[in-house]
Amino acid sequence: MRFEGKTAIVTGGSRGIGRACVARLAAEGAKVAFVYNSNRQAAESLLDELKSAPGEVRALQADVRDLQRAHQLVDSLFDEWERIDVLINSAGVVKDGLLGAMTADQWREVIETNLGGTFNYCHAVTQPMMMARRGSIVNLSSTAAEFAARGQVNYAASKGGINGLTRALAKELAPRNVRVNAIAPGMIETDMSQVVRGIAGDQIKKMIPLKRIGRPEEIASVAAFLASDEAAYLTGQVVRVDGGLSLGGY
Amino acid sequence: MPTKEEVFEKIQAALVDALGVDDEDVTPEATLVGDLGAESIDFLDIVFRLEKAFDIKIPRGELFPEDILTDSKYIQEGKVTETGLAELRKRMPFANLDQFAKNPAVQDFGNLLTVADMCRFVEGKVEVTD
Repeated sequence: MRFEGKTAIVTGGSRGIGRACVARLAAEGAKVAFVYNSNRQAAESLLDELKSAPGEVRALQADVRDLQRAHQLVDSLFDEWERIDVLINSAGVVKDGLLGAMTADQWREVIETNLGGTFNYCHAVTQPMMMARRGSIVNLSSTAAEFAARGQVNYAASKGGINGLTRALAKELAPRNVRVNAIAPGMIETDMSQVVRGIAGDQIKKMIPLKRIGRPEEIASVAAFLASDEAAYLTGQVVRVDGGLSLGGY
Repeated sequence: MPTKEEVFEKIQAALVDALGVDDEDVTPEATLVGDLGAESIDFLDIVFRLEKAFDIKIPRGELFPEDILTDSKYIQEGKVTETGLAELRKRMPFANLDQFAKNPAVQDFGNLLTVADMCRFVEGKVEVTD
């Protein structure tokens, strides 16, 4: 088990890709604390689902936009665990709309949750990871950062920001043996993507060279690889996991 | 309440851990950048270690006010302006800026801070006995 004796924090852990990451890390022996915002029922069902996992799992409520809370949460876990090995920033929201009709709140909520939340938790784990000379951060980006979609200026900007943050932070923390990478998923079967999938129907599958929508577990397996020592020489990268969607061409 | 010697020993340990230098390299006169090879990320690491060693909070930028050195308000043609020097003096009462002020080139600023300055910095934050 790659994560036996290791600890991990996963934001946005109660649903979608974050949930799959929690399950994967726990299955590989990690002590995992996942952060959820409002869906307590989903958090409890995950705890129930992972009762017999080799690792330990706990759920912590927090709004990732709150930097002070991020520090408080990370500090209390560090006091107890005495190590923070992995951070997966998966908390994210979509509030789509054409720019001309987008409200300031729609813009702010997406930027502050997706990009701000990633900043906040990276900020909070920097001290324990730097001092331990060990750690891996995996940020969930999106192919939307580089491939335009109408109605997603806020989401695309937040994910583009995550790519930039990932590369710059990777350079800052590399001398301390802390790695920072991102994953840019394509179309994945989650609640968050269901609206787009609903509108596009089977058309979207035709655009994907692998001819199918991805599963959250397929992102979690890449996240686990990036978080593990198997990726010890990999930092500052944005790994596209999209069934070939971003290849373009014919 | 630590003695001045204990403060020095803790700072020495923090610098050895953060910079990978030997105990004997960390003398009061040693400069952090020039003699001990500290880079910007190291200052953050040092601050983290001092906070832990002395159980204190150090606002970011207090020990090494990088924000002043990157603010065009205080820098002209690679040198710290009079206003910038005044700001540095205000922010770094623990450091002697007289020598630096003669030719305040930003690139030389890193060579200013010594281990003794750091001891004074910490002594200003914790109660110390002789």
